[in-house]
This record gives sequence, structure tokens and C-alpha cells, in this order.
Amino acid sequence: MSLIEFYARNGREALGLLGQHLVLVGISTAVALAIGVPLGIALTRRPAWRRPVLGTANVFQTIPSLALFGFLIPLPLLGGIGARTAIAALVVYALLPIIRNTYTGVIGVDAAVVEAGRGMGMTDGELLRLVELPLAVPVILAGVRIAVVVGVGTATIAAAIGAGGLGVYIFRGVATVNDTLILAGALPAAVLALAADAGLGALERRLSRR
Amino acid sequence: MSETVLEVRGLGFARRGSDGSSQSVVADLTFALGRAETLALLGRSGSGKTTTLKLINRLLEPTAGSVHVAGQEVTTARGVQLRRRIGYVIQEVGLFPHFTVEQNVALIPRLERWPPARIAARVRTLLGMVGLEPDTFAGRYPDQLSGGQRQRVGVARALAADPPLLLLDEPFGALDPVTRVELQREFQSLAQHLDKAMVFVTHDVREALAIGTRVGLMQDGRLVFLGSPGEFRSCPHPECRAFLEAL
Amino acid sequence: MSPTATRRWCRATRVAVLLVSLVPACRRGDRIVVGAKNFTESDLLAELVAQQIERRTALTVERRLHLGGTFVCHQAIVAGEIDAYVEYTGTAFTAVLQHVPVQDPDSVWRAVAAEYLERFGLVWLPPFGFNNTFAIAVRRADAEREGLRTIADLARVAPRWRAGFGYEFLERADGFPGLARTYGLRFAAPPTAMELGLTYRALADGRVDVIAGNSTDGLIPALDLVVLEDDRRYFPPYHAAPVVRRAVLLRHPEVERALAELAGRLSDAEMRRLNARADVERQDLAVIARDWLAEHVPTP
Repeated sequence: MSLIEFYARNGREALGLLGQHLVLVGISTAVALAIGVPLGIALTRRPAWRRPVLGTANVFQTIPSLALFGFLIPLPLLGGIGARTAIAALVVYALLPIIRNTYTGVIGVDAAVVEAGRGMGMTDGELLRLVELPLAVPVILAGVRIAVVVGVGTATIAAAIGAGGLGVYIFRGVATVNDTLILAGALPAAVLALAADAGLGALERRLSRR
Repeated sequence: MSETVLEVRGLGFARRGSDGSSQSVVADLTFALGRAETLALLGRSGSGKTTTLKLINRLLEPTAGSVHVAGQEVTTARGVQLRRRIGYVIQEVGLFPHFTVEQNVALIPRLERWPPARIAARVRTLLGMVGLEPDTFAGRYPDQLSGGQRQRVGVARALAADPPLLLLDEPFGALDPVTRVELQREFQSLAQHLDKAMVFVTHDVREALAIGTRVGLMQDGRLVFLGSPGEFRSCPHPECRAFLEAL
Repeated sequence: MSPTATRRWCRATRVAVLLVSLVPACRRGDRIVVGAKNFTESDLLAELVAQQIERRTALTVERRLHLGGTFVCHQAIVAGEIDAYVEYTGTAFTAVLQHVPVQDPDSVWRAVAAEYLERFGLVWLPPFGFNNTFAIAVRRADAEREGLRTIADLARVAPRWRAGFGYEFLERADGFPGLARTYGLRFAAPPTAMELGLTYRALADGRVDVIAGNSTDGLIPALDLVVLEDDRRYFPPYHAAPVVRRAVLLRHPEVERALAELAGRLSDAEMRRLNARADVERQDLAVIARDWLAEHVPTP
């Protein structure tokens, strides 16, 4: 059966899985942003935290996904099986690029600009909100872009823990040695990753013009 | 001297080394400055000029002595409140690259919640004052300006909230010689009718003599000479002689 | 790649192919090559076969373990790259011979043995005894509390229980849909589709109540799980047996005699224990095989 035939016959299901996939990536990226950006900012204020925090995020990222699921299943709040666990794992993988780029972006703001701001009597919060963050946005966005592209790919393994997404087709295809099925999951995931990359890349370029 | 704007008494700053020893960067500075006075703080690199400015607006905490700005002891004021009453201009200018010229100049009035109409009027006045045509320049971004124009904006920004005291850290140091002389001249006339106390840091003795109503010479963190430009020319101190020979 | 490089590459390939084709010629005589599929049980059984041949004959055994999937091993033995490996009747019947799954073990065995000999010149020696099929497993505590012994018993409590199954079990013709029909199984919610290895974890941690594992998996004893009996004989048989090239057996009949001693010696539970020693306790395959042979197939 060709891929086109497959989609013609299973269109509703495929769209449903695509939707689940987008939700998994969307929520996990949002949560990773909510944790990663403040943490990245905190690192610029507390240089001593930098190595332990980035080191930990780095180690997290090297944990194989199935092993991570294995650790997560018994956990009380994040654990179990289903979307919540998959999102927890995806957040873990998305954190490093977001924390690192937030830190790099904020610390990389021209020292003279920061000194001028401070010297003029801006508070730390004003400086962060009006100067450092806006100037760091392109760099932070580059981190988000990495996180999203990696996330779209990684979210296919959410199907390993009953969280659905396009990985369902891939796992089914692998289990039944059905290449069409594998493609039916892998192809839209790849297109999604490329689209996210291009879209966020364009946004990044537009924002870094100034 | 009319009313005293800045009074520095026995000011010192020591940096504590990792081994617990402390190294003096600035020591025993004493001077006072009134309205319409400009102190040109002269010295070689590393003599403590920039540190002195940062002790005055508390970007650094003094380890000895006291600083009064407009009668208030600076260590009792909140740093942020204090710095909003002190204009600050640095060599690298430090304009916010994502703000237009207008937004840069308007920043402190905006943070102080001035009414928008008052801010707009103030920006136009200031830009005119530093020789930038408001209609042409207000909407530009810093990367669309020349080095001299940027520093003019820097001065306008420092004057925005009409502070009684202005600190300038080698503001013309990075400019080409022609622009530099041009700006020095304009600054002189600006300073004369601005009626502000200014501390102007430079390592250029020509600039110090041209701009300062008084000259202070620093060596190794200490003030080795303080007096009028005329007095400076006849100062016998070896460091004074060294600088005068560079004329 | 440049044309010259391509030509050079082609020449190198031809030389390599020539060398490889010489290998079986040199090997003829006193060497026998035992292969295995890419999972622990296959490696372990290949090691058992290899050691038993070494114990009982003068042949040298070369081990080529963890080769790949069914297809790879089948191609290798048909091409004479390997002389023997352990295959499962059900797998040979459906995956290699492409038949529709059949439940009766004897007819599967007869069909597989006859067709392999006729089509590939391969001989199925007597099976080891165990049946590595899908195993419906539950926690021991639950089985005891609810008095579950068979899958029919499970159907009684299923409406209150949650199931987590691997994708293969959910998709295969001989997997969940047929099982549900045969036993009238209805769970509290549709079974959660998961990676097979994680289903064990989810069961052990109480996130699901029923899984479908493999009946000889070492995790079953390790996690103290109970396998429910397939009392309606739904799952097709997957009996493991050595498959050997006929040419080898004709030249070395002692191999057939040696491997006949292993026939029927491994129960499901015994195989689970051996797998557990390899997968859970991480013991060396050669050591596990030597211990087991010394105990169960003593030298007279």
C-alpha cells in the first residue's frame, strides 16, 4: 500500500496523531521556556551556579529516552504512563538549549550598554526587562529553535509510553515490519521539524535585525 | 562658589584579594564642587579616575570616607534613586541598540513616569541642545549614527532628567581628532550655560585644561594636585610636569 | 565519488567478494559455524548448541552470535555462511514461509520441517521443549488475590483492570484483537500502546495490571510475575529448535546425535531462569551454558 493510499484511508487517525504530536511539543516547549529562561537569567546573576546547572542539564540530555521513561514511570507526580510522562521527558531534553542560550544571550549583551543602564539608575529588573532580555531574544530564540526541532523528533518516542503522537505509526511499523507505516509517521515528523526550523529561523532573523 | 552640589571627603576604595589582603585603588580623596563648575579629573590609565566616578554614583561601594550629592550622603540613599539624579556618560556611550534616539533619551523620564507630552518636549529640547536636529535624528537607531552623533545622544540622555550633577568618563576618548575638538568646543559652551556640577575624566591634558574650570590630577589613586588650570600650569609636582610636557 | 575512485572501489569489492567465497571452501572439514539472532535467548541457545557440539565431537565450532533478525540468519544459513542456528517454529511458519498463523503445534512443526528440507536443504532437529510465545502476565499478588490461573479467569476481572501492550502484540494477526475475541476480554479502557520493555516496568509499578510479554522472558521471574495459561490454545506455537544444513549432517552425523541430547530438556520456566541469569544478573553466556550442560546433560 502506498503512503498516499494509507493517508487517504487513515486521514482522521493521522491528523489526530499529528495533533497529539503538536500538543506534546507545544506544551513541553512552553514548560521548558517557563523553567529555562528564568534559570538562564539566574545563572547570569549567580555565576557559581553556572557549572552545576548547565552540567546537570547536559547530563539529562544524554539519558536515552527509554531509560528516562524507565526512571519516570515510578515517580509520583510526573510519572506513570501517558502524555504527562512523555511531556516531562521532552521538557528534560528541551531545557539545556534554552537555559544555555538564555544565559549566553543575556551575558553577551554589550557590557557598555549594561553599564550605561546601571549608571543611569535603572533597577536590575528594568535593565533585564527593557534592555538585556530584548537584546538577548534572538539568541534565546535560537535555543528555542533547537529545542523545538529536537523536540519534534524526540516526541516520536512518546509513543513508547502510551502518549500517542506520530511515533505510534513508527512503533507499529517497526513491530510489524511495515515500511509504509514507518514512513507514515516519520515523514510528517520530518516535515514538521523542517517547518519549525524554517519558521523560527525566519522569526529569529527578523528579530535580530535591530 | 555658590551652593555645593558634590562633596567628597576622605573617599577611599580597597579591593579585597582572594588571600584576604586588601589593595588600595583609591585613597583619601577630598574635594567639593558647586554649580557651573567642571572638575577635569586627569591621570594616567589605572590612576583611579574611573573608580572615583563609580564611587560617586555608587556603582562601587566606598570602603572609606563619604560622598554627599546635593546635601545627601550617598550611602544612605538607594543606589537607583541616587543614580537617577546623576547624569552618567561613558566612552563607549552604551546607547541601547534596540531603542531609537528618542527612546534612548526618554528612558529615565519614562521610568520616572513623566507625562508623555513633557517627555516629547524634553527630548526635542535636549537634541537641539546637543546639536542634533530632532526631526532628522529622533527616529534613528544608534547604528545609523556616526561616533560623534552617538556621543551627543549619550550626553542628551544623561541630561534628560535634569540632574544637578553630571559624571563623564572620557566621553570623547574614542572619537577621531577633528570630531573630538568639535565636541569639546560645543561641550564647553554647553557647560557654561547648563549650570551643573560636572566631573570630567580624561587622560588628555589639553582636554582637561580646555574643559575644566578646575583640574584634579590623580596618581596611584591619590589626588596629587587640585586647582585652577592656571595653577596647574605652574605646578611643581613631577606628575604635573610629566603631563605638561605632553602639551 | 570520482570515476577513478569508483573503479578502484569496484575492484576492491570484487576482490573482497572473491575472498569471502573462498572462506566456505577452507572451512569444509572440521569446522562448524553456529549463528544466532540479535537477542539474548538466541545467543544463549547458540552457545548451548556450540558447547554441546564441542563436548561430543572433534569439530571446532565458530560462533557468530547476534547476527541480526530472522531474515539475516535465514539468508546466512541458506547461503552457507553459517551451518546452524536456533529458530522458532511459529516464526519460520509465518515470517519465512509466509503462511497464515495456525494454532496446532504438531501441524506447524510438520509443515516447517518438510518445507525447510525441500526448499532450503535445512533440517529441523528436535525442539528444546519450551514455547516462546506471547505470555499474558499479571502481578503475583493480584493473581493470588483474584484466583487467576488462566486467561479465561482474567476475562472475569478485566473490566476493572488496565492493560499495557507492545505495538507488535497490538498489531499482529495473532496478537490482541484475536485474543480479545477468543476470550471475550474487555478492559476498563483500551489497552495503552507502549514499548514492550516499558510494559514490564509499568506492570511492576502498578501503572497497568496486565501485559503481554514473552513466555521465556527473564523479567517474569525477576519481577515475580505470573503467566496466565492460554487454556483455549489461542497463541500459535513458537517452539525453538536447532536448524542445521543437511550437507553438514550428512558429513558429520555426530552433530545430530550430540544435539538430540538437548531435545525436550528446557521448559518455559527453565528458559526464563537462564534468560534471567543473562539479562538480569548479567552473567556470561558461556558460563551459563557450561553450568546448565554440566547439570542437565551429564557426560556418561
